Amino acid sequence: MTAVIGEASWFCCGTAWGPCASAGGGACGNCSSGKHQHAWPTASAACTSITDPGACGVGLTQRGCGFVHYVTNLCNGKEVGSSIADCGPNVHQFCGERTCCGSSCGTNRIVDLTASAFSAIASLSSGLIPIKVDTVA
Amino acid sequence: MTSQVDRRQFLTRAALGGATIVGATALGSLAPEAAFGATGPSVAPGAPDPAFAEGRITSISGSTIIAAGSDGTLNRIQTTGATSAWKLTPTSVGAAQVGDGLYARGVRMPDGTLAADALWLNIVSLDAHVVTLASDKVHLDHQGSRITGHVVKGVSAAVYNGTPAVADLSLVPVGGHVHVVGAWRPDTAEIDVSTVYAKV
Repeated sequence: MTAVIGEASWFCCGTAWGPCASAGGGACGNCSSGKHQHAWPTASAACTSITDPGACGVGLTQRGCGFVHYVTNLCNGKEVGSSIADCGPNVHQFCGERTCCGSSCGTNRIVDLTASAFSAIASLSSGLIPIKVDTVA
Repeated sequence: MTSQVDRRQFLTRAALGGATIVGATALGSLAPEAAFGATGPSVAPGAPDPAFAEGRITSISGSTIIAAGSDGTLNRIQTTGATSAWKLTPTSVGAAQVGDGLYARGVRMPDGTLAADALWLNIVSLDAHVVTLASDKVHLDHQGSRITGHVVKGVSAAVYNGTPAVADLSLVPVGGHVHVVGAWRPDTAEIDVSTVYAKV
């Protein structure tokens, strides 16, 4: 897979407090905010039909539960390896959404990281960050 | 930025190692935004991160916070003068209260204590559908649940199309989807809005 540039956020995953209390283990059943995991929009054919990245002109390889991606924060170069644990984000709801750090930009939401994975490469208060997703470190 | 993180980790380790630290800020400002990424030993993809903790605060004693993890784990979190904190805005660890939800990142000590480089108190990160918008609040649907977002004057901001944040939330699209970072009001379905990310 060629590296893909886009945006990342972090999301509720597993048991948690507050508005995340209702979040379960995700599509793969084992998602946890304390693990280095992420949601991927094409985690299955059914998932792809929900997230519909094609509506934004984004082509992503279908990868299933446990597949490892390496996500690099384009703001600082920090990288985290994480495995697929859920379906998401809903790419089609954010077509064209863009986040930049200086001249480094990412367009379209293509990955949601768990809080532990996101905080390894950015502050949780950052909200959205431009990222590169690859299959190799 | 990396040097700030390294300095914070140094300060944390030094503080817990018995070295006297009289005000971490004596070494310069430690911006909370720079307090992330204390990666420590590498973590295998999919594995739990020992440098991370989550839970709700059950007690605070001096610089020690006990938080009950949602998975049943009891986390002992040690704060130092170098620990940064976020609770709607960058703040001090003194803002932490019993009942708050937290995420923490730091250094796991041999006794299991997490020496915190950074605390995020009550922080939420939500994709939501905007139901209604008023000058003082925004009603959101998040995974089928209604959440009231309070607009906090001088704090709440909107980022439209990736442009710099502005205080004017009036362009937030009612009926559209947004991403919201905010601070949960414990035991309610309400948050205080930090930033709304919207495409207009």
